[in-house]
Parts: sequence; structure tokens; C-alpha cells
Amino acid sequence: MTSVSLPPPNAERFDTVCQFCIVGCGYRVYRWPVGQDGDSSPLGNALGIDFRGQLPALQQWIAPAMQSTVTDSNGDRYNIAIIPDENCSVNQGLSSVRGGGLAQTLYSPDRATSDRLHTPLLRLNSGEKPIPWAEASDLGASVVKAVIDRWGPDAVGMKFFDHGGGGGGFENNWAVGRLFFSSIGTRTASIHNRPAYNSEVHAAADAGLVPLTNAYADARLSDTTLIVGANPYETQTNYFLAHMIPNISGASLSEKKQAFGVEPVDKGRIIFVDPRRTMSVASAEAAGGDRVLHLQIEPGTDIILLNAIARIILDKRWHDIGFIRRRAEWQTFEAYQRSSLSVDRLLATVVDEAAALTGVKSEKIYLAAEWIAAPKMGGFRRRTLLHYEKGLIWGVKNYENIASIVGLGLLTGNVGRPGTGISRLGGHQEAYVRPPYDGGRPARNVDEAVRRGEVKCYWVGGCNPILTTLNSRSMKQALIERTSLVQDAISHTEGKSTGVRVARIVDALKEGGMFLIGQDIYPTETTRLAQLVLPAAQWGEMNLTSINGERRLRLYPKFMDPPGVALPDWRIIAMFAKRLNQLYTKDRNPLMASKFLDYDWKTSEDVFIHARYQYDGSKNDSMEGYAGVTYNLLRQAGNEGIQTPTRLVNGTPVGTVRMHEGGSFYTRTGKARFIAAPRPWPSYGAKLERQKSKYRFWVNNGRANHIWQTLYHHQRIPYFWEHNPVPFIEMHPDDALELAISSGDLVKVSNDLGSVDAMAYLTMAVKRGHTFMLFGHPAGSVGDLVSDHVDPDTTIPYYKGVWADVKRIRAMPQWRERMSFLPRNIAT
Amino acid sequence: MVDRRNFIKASVAGAVLPAAQLTQNTLASTSAEQVFPVLNIGTLAEVESQNVIEFSYPDSASPAILIRLEEAATGGIGPNNSIVAYSRLCTHKGCPVGYRPGRQLLICPCHWSTFDPARAGTMVIGQASQSLPQVMLRLDEDVIQAYGVTGLIYGRQTNII
Repeated sequence: MTSVSLPPPNAERFDTVCQFCIVGCGYRVYRWPVGQDGDSSPLGNALGIDFRGQLPALQQWIAPAMQSTVTDSNGDRYNIAIIPDENCSVNQGLSSVRGGGLAQTLYSPDRATSDRLHTPLLRLNSGEKPIPWAEASDLGASVVKAVIDRWGPDAVGMKFFDHGGGGGGFENNWAVGRLFFSSIGTRTASIHNRPAYNSEVHAAADAGLVPLTNAYADARLSDTTLIVGANPYETQTNYFLAHMIPNISGASLSEKKQAFGVEPVDKGRIIFVDPRRTMSVASAEAAGGDRVLHLQIEPGTDIILLNAIARIILDKRWHDIGFIRRRAEWQTFEAYQRSSLSVDRLLATVVDEAAALTGVKSEKIYLAAEWIAAPKMGGFRRRTLLHYEKGLIWGVKNYENIASIVGLGLLTGNVGRPGTGISRLGGHQEAYVRPPYDGGRPARNVDEAVRRGEVKCYWVGGCNPILTTLNSRSMKQALIERTSLVQDAISHTEGKSTGVRVARIVDALKEGGMFLIGQDIYPTETTRLAQLVLPAAQWGEMNLTSINGERRLRLYPKFMDPPGVALPDWRIIAMFAKRLNQLYTKDRNPLMASKFLDYDWKTSEDVFIHARYQYDGSKNDSMEGYAGVTYNLLRQAGNEGIQTPTRLVNGTPVGTVRMHEGGSFYTRTGKARFIAAPRPWPSYGAKLERQKSKYRFWVNNGRANHIWQTLYHHQRIPYFWEHNPVPFIEMHPDDALELAISSGDLVKVSNDLGSVDAMAYLTMAVKRGHTFMLFGHPAGSVGDLVSDHVDPDTTIPYYKGVWADVKRIRAMPQWRERMSFLPRNIAT
Repeated sequence: MVDRRNFIKASVAGAVLPAAQLTQNTLASTSAEQVFPVLNIGTLAEVESQNVIEFSYPDSASPAILIRLEEAATGGIGPNNSIVAYSRLCTHKGCPVGYRPGRQLLICPCHWSTFDPARAGTMVIGQASQSLPQVMLRLDEDVIQAYGVTGLIYGRQTNII
């Protein structure tokens, strides 16, 4: 496109937040009728910008990707422009490659997003049949009821989004949680990316910490930032670019001086613990030179590294004894020293062992300890911000992984004051708003319940387990085999009443069948197997609220209609709940009917306010309570929003910039708990040791800058799809040479569980013997190679623990011609 | 630098770009026809000795860079089709990209978006939402001429302002 349309001065304007990553950058949406464009003079367009000349750098601009044309349900066509908000403190006018393309994700009959699900579908052997909502909810609710009545509520399984941003939000999470936990009462629940309904950070909660403790401002104020298992340039982009980078470049020095008075301040330092030399490391070095330290560890060795660093700090007496005495349970500190920090053994032995296992030189481990905890001039404590994400969460032993970084943070007193924090960096935005889940711990493994036949009705919403679960090939097989039985039953009851049809479906369920409900915005590998497909509205088509990585709660308003008769998830849930109430009433079962009451929400704000009764700051809502917050308040607050939890001061909600500041920790005693690791290193376990010894390469895997999750949007945006037809796999050039593999070759990655085709990408970013693969591509998911091993304490998978062989299939000249295979970690 | 005197007044003779070429390196897929000036950038001999020539195109407010690469390039001209030219304004926030000859990369110093000059300016990694606009080149005997731009230059509503 060699020109962009400008919004006229009277264009409608909406403040909103990006639908993608945890950072939640502010954006401005402009909407105006096609044919009524503004002009290039400053008074002629809504931005007030003079487009008659060249704009200077770092200015507001509308890139071609930031606009598109949409059609409302009445046929009216509008131009939409979605540009980063320069007045939002989160991103300060910056867009990421993902947010810069928000306009391309909107539904349009003229673009590749045209295949959105428009209407409920019933799958027959002859194909998909569009049906009205009334028929869909009648059939779906009747099957759910039949399953509850015959097999009990736990035979209704669910796997749903559990996040903020696109496809989530307080409203939708509350409705989903209410139906499954309060009304149906099932314990067979699982979250979008894992086989159970469980925290990714149980150890942090057991220590008394919320997952998101700090404010983004703390990354501008810290002396040192520690980042374990995360790649923020690519996956928390504008937190990194607008907050972390100004710290290490010195741009935030005046802010530090103002905040800390006589305390000495300097340009910040940053430590990365990552098996790869990522673009985050490269760009941090470009900004901060030798104030960047990269500890390039071997897989699964985070625990021994972090505990060795903690041990050095303890022996150097750099730990915060005052904080520990005042704010931690002393006996847990003693156990932590003995068990996690091996105080009965010589420091040199402990560090040497860590060096041998992690592959990181001892000197670097000592240096990291110094950067994290050596006192500053004048005896001031160093302010260190500790961050971690999926490298640690999906690691060798989830519980001890998280415990080790939380322990390091507590040991050094780095929580609850400016420039500090112990926090997840985050993936999605968050919206932990739902009724209590009665699933126990370790939580039930739903994948196994599906495979074993215990789940009779499986309702999957806003996620795609065929791409994003462990041992996903066996999940796909189970779904195909079990749903095909039900599909036959449905196909043979064409034209029959719902009663007859449900009876035949129940017969099929008795024979091992499973009724699959797929609720989503696009057709996916999972909805293509579903008997009942429910079309959902997406971001921009409904009002929703979410928090970002510093708990910033904002309103994401509706600015266009969903396609066809698609509905917000909360409305779909309410429709089914009401139908279940009617069915039980008709069945003269008032007890069960009463469980499906109070779904009479008229608007999304009704759901928001309904959920607030549970999240009013007085119950189990330490992080996300939003006492007193209304849509009106959020509208007024715009893209700044308000940081949860809120408390009422003279009737007005007041937010919380930083958690655990002065206040207590969320334990029985109010003091933080150290969590002792039972052994210095848990090992890979027998199953994975076998896999590791059998296959040549470690297949590290995860997200990438320009791709969001399973590419559900990005496969429909040509610029991204043309460059990512299959998942890439990064390989060291020397390894590739031995296998005659060149960049751009199609390769097969295989182990005893399955095989996936990928595109080779040769790079020095990975060590020899290591690879890194995009995790959830529709043309090939690394999930097919992931073993079903989970942490027995938390039911969290070791997704990063994959070993496999790589073989060349053939060269792909057409890929070589159009794609770039230059290194993606060069900043200077 | 090439100054304004080198611009040939050629609004009529300038090229009208076919839509197909315009859609290759942008996210969106519609196009508008625009008339570009023809500019003499330098001679093949000059490129041979310098490898890099900075100039402005399609007007003096739009910095651009001509590069001789070590390999054949999409849209390249001259020996081995290795000579290409790009807008220097990063399509993320408009900072001037710099060329790293050893890496054959164009890198933005502000937020480190990087672009591949051998592959039509496609983004290697970074936060821009489109490729770096490529300046279309042709040879008039041994004189290298710019005659168009694919993709929208940062900070503009249209390439010709």
C-alpha cells in the first residue's frame, strides 16, 4: 500500500489495549465511514498532524498495517485505524510487530479473516450444518444434562481460555468459571495451555507472593534486573523497550536520583539466564554494553544455578537479614539454607557442581551474585528486580523452579519496594476472575481423563489442544476416535427430535464416544472434530476488561460487530446455563435447576459487576480485587486504567502500584515462606533421561516476536504467513553442516512420540546440540514430541524437555527466495 | 549525497508502478498509483568503488541508501543483480537505519528492527509492521536511476507529498 487513509476530525475514537501479550500496550482506535476520509492538513484529520510534509522520527504515524476496512452487521463499511497511544505510560507511543498489525486481525469478508465462525454448526457425516442458536443451545445443554445425570458432573470436561486480552477478560472468565465450577460443579477442568486447572506458580503462592508484584516503573528504577527463561524483546516487547532499556542505557538516571535521594544510583545492569543468545541479550548489549551478563545454561539447570547464586550471597553475607527476620518465617529460612543452599557443604564445591551442570563458568556465577546483592557504596542495599517466565515455568520441575527464584528474591529482600519485585514476565494478559475451583492439588490431569474415556462431554473454548498440549498426537487420536462414534449417532438421527437424538448420543457415549463442543473465533484443528461448533466474538467486538503485567485494569471497548450471529463467550455461556435451568425445571428437578440461576446478565458490565462481589478486596482476591470499579470509572481512566487490587478510600477506588509494600504476605502468619528444595537438582527423570540419551538434539521451544501463539490470526495475515509456512527450528551451523542441512531446508524433527516438519534456521544463537523451535504452529506442533511427564506436585508439564533427531528432507528454493535467513539476534 | 539538481523533472515520464509489485512487501494489499520522479544516483563505477551511496528519494526529505551486496538481490540491478536501494527511515518509528556491510543487514539504532537488503527489505526481526520500502532502480547505460518506491515510506500518508 502506498498510501493510508486518514481519519477525519469527527472520526469516532476509542481508547483500547492490545489484544496480544501481557504488556497490554495502549492503542487508539479511529473509526469512520468509507468515503469520508480526512485530509493531510492538521485541521483536516483526527490526529491533528500535518501530513503535507515528512514527519520526524518517533512521531505518531499510521503505518499501512495499522488500518483496514470492516463491514458492520447492517452492511455499513468503515475504515479503522489502530495506532499506539503516546499518552499511555505502558508503551509511550511504541507499537510492537504484533500490536502494529491489530487492524489486520479484524474480521472482514474481503480478507483472509473472512473464515471466522459466523454461525453455530452441527457436524454430520455429510459435513457441517449451520443451525440457529436455539437449536445449538438446546442440543448442547441436553447433552450436558444427560451426562451429569448419568455419569455425574466430573464427566463434563472443560478446557478454556484463562487469561485476559483477546479471547478472555474478566467477563468471559467469570461466566465460564461460574458455569463449570458453581453450576455444573465439575472438577475435570483445564486451562488453555496445560492439562489441568492449576497455577503455573504454586510455589510463589505458597511463599505468600502474588504472581505479579511489581510496577513497570520498577524496571526503570532497579540497580539490576534478573531475567530467567524469558525473551522480552520478542515476547514482552514494550516493557523491555520502554522500561528496561532506558534503565541500562542510563535514560532513567534522573528518575532514580529523584526517587532515591542520597542513595547512590547508576545505569542499570541486566542478567539473562537463557540457553539461547536471544535478541533480548543482543539488544541489551547494544544499549548497555558490559552491564549485561548472559548465563547460557544447559536445559533444566535453573534450580542449581539460582540456588548456587543464593549460596554465594549467603556466604558473602549480602543477604537481607533484617527483611528475613521481620518479614519471613524464620524456620523456613533455616530449612532453605540446609536443603536448597546446601550449607553443610563447601561453597566452592556447590558452585563447581553448579558450573559443571549448567555449563556456566564459576566466575560468571559469582559475578551474577555480586550484581544481584553486593551492597552499593555507603552500604545501601542493591535493588534487584527478579523476573521469570516459561523457561522456568515449563521447566524440569515446576515447583522447585519457581521456589528457587522466589527464594533468591526473599533472601535479598527484593520485593515490595521501588526498583524490586519477584514476578512473572507473563505471556497473555490476565483476568483471574472466576469462582473457586474445587479440584484439589495436584489438579486432575484432564488429558488423561479424556484418553481414559472418563470425559463424556468435552467443551473446549478459545484454545486448541491438538496444537498446544503435551503428547498432542495421542490427544488428537483420542479426539478423533471418541468423537467419530458420536458423529455417527448424530448423523443417523437427522430430522429426529432432540430427545431421540440425545438418547442416541448417550448410547454412543456408553460405547466410549465423547461429545466435543468447540467454541472459538476461527475453525481450528479442534473445532473441525467438534460435533457442536459455537462462534464467539473477539477483541473489539465486545466490551471486556483485563489486567496487564503490572495489574493495570482497563476497559477494551467494542468498536465493531462480530461476524454473523457470533456472540461474546459470556453470552454463549449464559444461554446454555439458562437452557439447563429450563431443562431441569421441566424434569421436575428444582435442586439442579437452582444451580443454573442468576445468568440474566444484560450487558458485559452486568457480568463485570456480578464478578466484583467475589473480587471486592475482602476474600481470596489478593491481586485482582477491584472494589468500587465500574465501566464508567474505567472509561474515564482511559489507557492508564487503575492498578489492582483496589481499595475504597472515602468511597473512591484507589489502586495499588506495587504489591507487598509494607503490607503482609498471603500466608497464615502474614510472613513470607522460603520453600526448600528436597534435593540440589531433581534430574530429568528416568523417562526423559532415556529420551535424552537416545536423541541428538535438545528441542527447546517457545514463542517468537512476530507470531502470536498458534498463529490463529497470523496465519491469516499474508506478511506473516508467507514467512512462516511451517515452524522454524534454530540449529547451530556446525551441527547443521554435519547433517548437510542449510537454512531454509525442510527438515524432520522426530523422536519416540512423533515427528514434525520444520524449516531449518541456522544461527549461532543456540549452542551445539541445542535447537529452538516455534511451539504451536498449525502445520506442525512441537507438542507431538513432548512427553506426558508432568511435575507430580503441580501437574505442570515439562514442555521444554524434548529431545529428538533432526533429518534433512529437501531444499525449498521458494522459501530461500522470499524469506530472510539472516541472524535474528544482531543489534549492532 | 545526491542533491536536488540531480532530480530529473519527469512527473510524466516517471513510472506508474503495477499493483503486483506494490503488494509484495506490505501487510496490506491495496495500492494506489503514484507518479515518481526519475533520479540519477550515480554510475556503476562509483558504486564499484564506494559500495554504499547515500541519497534522497523521492524528495529531499526522504533519506535513502544504495548498496552493492555480495549476492544477487530481489530487485537488484547491475553486476550479478547485486545493487539495491532502500528508504533509510525505519518503518517502525522512523529512525535512520544503518548498513552493516559485514552482516549484510540494515539495522535501526532506536529499537533494533533489522531488514534484509537482499530480500526486498523484509524484516528479519523487529517491531516494524512492514518491510523497508525499496527504491526501484534501473540502468541508463552506466547510470543508476531511481524510478519508484515499493511500500509506504515512514511518516507519510503518500510517498509523493
